[in-house]
Amino acid sequence: MIKKLFMTASILTASAVVANAASEWGIDHEKKTRVEVKVVDLLCEITGNCAAECGKGKRQLGFLFDDGKLVPAVKNQEPFAGATNDLIKFCNKRIVADGLMISNPKMPLFAVQFTRLAPDGKWSRANQFGKDWSKANGGKKSGQWFRQDPRIKKTIKEQGVFGIPGLKPES
Amino acid sequence: MKKLFKLFAIMGLTATVMSTPSQAVTPKRVQISGEIIDTWCYVTEIMFAEGTAHHQCAIWCAVGGIPVSIKAKDGTVYMVLRVDGDDTSVANPKIVKIQSHNVTVDGDHYVRDGVNYLIVNKVATDKGIINMTHDEYGVVPFGE
Repeated sequence: MIKKLFMTASILTASAVVANAASEWGIDHEKKTRVEVKVVDLLCEITGNCAAECGKGKRQLGFLFDDGKLVPAVKNQEPFAGATNDLIKFCNKRIVADGLMISNPKMPLFAVQFTRLAPDGKWSRANQFGKDWSKANGGKKSGQWFRQDPRIKKTIKEQGVFGIPGLKPES
Repeated sequence: MKKLFKLFAIMGLTATVMSTPSQAVTPKRVQISGEIIDTWCYVTEIMFAEGTAHHQCAIWCAVGGIPVSIKAKDGTVYMVLRVDGDDTSVANPKIVKIQSHNVTVDGDHYVRDGVNYLIVNKVATDKGIINMTHDEYGVVPFGE
């Protein structure tokens, strides 16, 4: 009985791990990566200009690896969205990050797909931006947030899709 | 006494380690001219990501909180962490407003682990959008 329970628990744990494993996105130089890192405020880490709670979501964040390497964490799982909303609660804490390490010669970047507080917190999918956006926009679905966002609509209305007022796509 | 010295030595070492989590990086004062771009689309090359064709997407990404960079004339990409004394680098309205523009900025340049970081002290000139890529690429992505 105990053996069966143990086996079931092991299988469930293994499934959970697989379910929270990063997917490949077909990007050049990408590598599926699961790593324990410290979440840091990039401006603070680079210049010493630090703010309370890593800037409370207004500053770009990055991963400080154990060997001292610093990598900007710039993307979450949602379309056109960064990772700050997912990572800000982990400011200066160690997490397990699962995602894609993109070792592009232009600059290395990390795309975050899942996170958990190290060493054994509960996994979260990196989709906090959409949840926060929905909450800030009257509960609207965030699937195509970028087409409904009032800041974007205002900017595109003023500038046009090409950024030059009056210049429009050919219909 | 020897024990106390050892204790202080250990405490001192611990304090040093905790107060210096980052590597010392010395900035270089620079003037950079180039195009304001979306870091993710441009670096990963998941789509064409320059000029008028990509302007709308660059707005989406900047508002979505993806870092903005300046692609200099020599191709170097500088990730912007601060502009005109404003520490906001996530969806900063000032930066969103000048996406895809060709600018010349005065700033402090830091290099760490293969990333060029830029603290923009002043946007010296802003020529607006001059990279007319839409004739060739249309609207990227989705064509609308």
